[in-house]
Amino acid sequence: MADEQAPRPAAPPAAPTGSTGYQGGSSGGHSGPPSGGGHTGPPRFGGPGGPRPGGPGARPGGPAKRGKRNFVRKKKVCRFCVDKSDYIDYKRAEILAPFLQERGKILPRRMTGTCARHQRWLTVAIKRAQNIALLPFAAEL
Amino acid sequence: MEERQYDLIFICRPDTPEADVDKVIATVEHTATDKGAKIEKTEKWGRKRMAYRVQRLREGFYVYMVLKSTHGEVVKELERRLKVADPVMKYLTVRVDEELKRQEKLKRHREKRAARRPRKTVPSAVPSAAPAAPAAPAPAAAAS
Repeated sequence: MADEQAPRPAAPPAAPTGSTGYQGGSSGGHSGPPSGGGHTGPPRFGGPGGPRPGGPGARPGGPAKRGKRNFVRKKKVCRFCVDKSDYIDYKRAEILAPFLQERGKILPRRMTGTCARHQRWLTVAIKRAQNIALLPFAAEL
Repeated sequence: MEERQYDLIFICRPDTPEADVDKVIATVEHTATDKGAKIEKTEKWGRKRMAYRVQRLREGFYVYMVLKSTHGEVVKELERRLKVADPVMKYLTVRVDEELKRQEKLKRHREKRAARRPRKTVPSAVPSAAPAAPAAPAPAAAAS
């Protein structure tokens, strides 16, 4: 151990590079997020409830205080919960198709409003349907 | 082992005569029953447009079957047969019994919950009265 540690301080370039590397890492890790989060409201004390552009939309009081982004978001409802479906059938491509993008990607939950459970089932159903050519993997050109 | 249920879909080339499709179905049924599986349902969906090209073809003749079996070797054998069968372009076997079981369970759960509280109309009357009651005593307390 001692033999190995001795050469490191002896070699001047090795130690400085190591320390600067550490400092760079710390600055990137700690001072990065506050600078990124503080751009909307300067006199904030780095609170965790910072500005989230696409965050939980339907909060009544919060957004009004901060000004600017003050619009009402329409609450999206899970279509499968409305229909009370306990099973998403992969064979019915017509009900799965609206959850695909034009290029064949599966739409994320934040776009469709599907609940977590149904999105999970939906993904499986879509993938099965793709395998038997009921739905495209990618749009053809 | 408990019985498992499988969905089997295969796609035949669109130019195969109906008789050949029937022949494939017959062989599938035969192999399945040989291996101790039951065919629950056979549906011919007919010629359908596929979502992408398979073997440079845009259309295919879809056949859908449901089978029940207690062991999985049937599926292996069936898939081997389908792979060898000339008119078949594509096939898919999916085990569905677990999902159907889940569906049943959720359905039962839902019905039970619906039966337990059929009071959809009663709570609407209660909350209208409830806010009024606390509001009245509050000024009285402030006055005293």
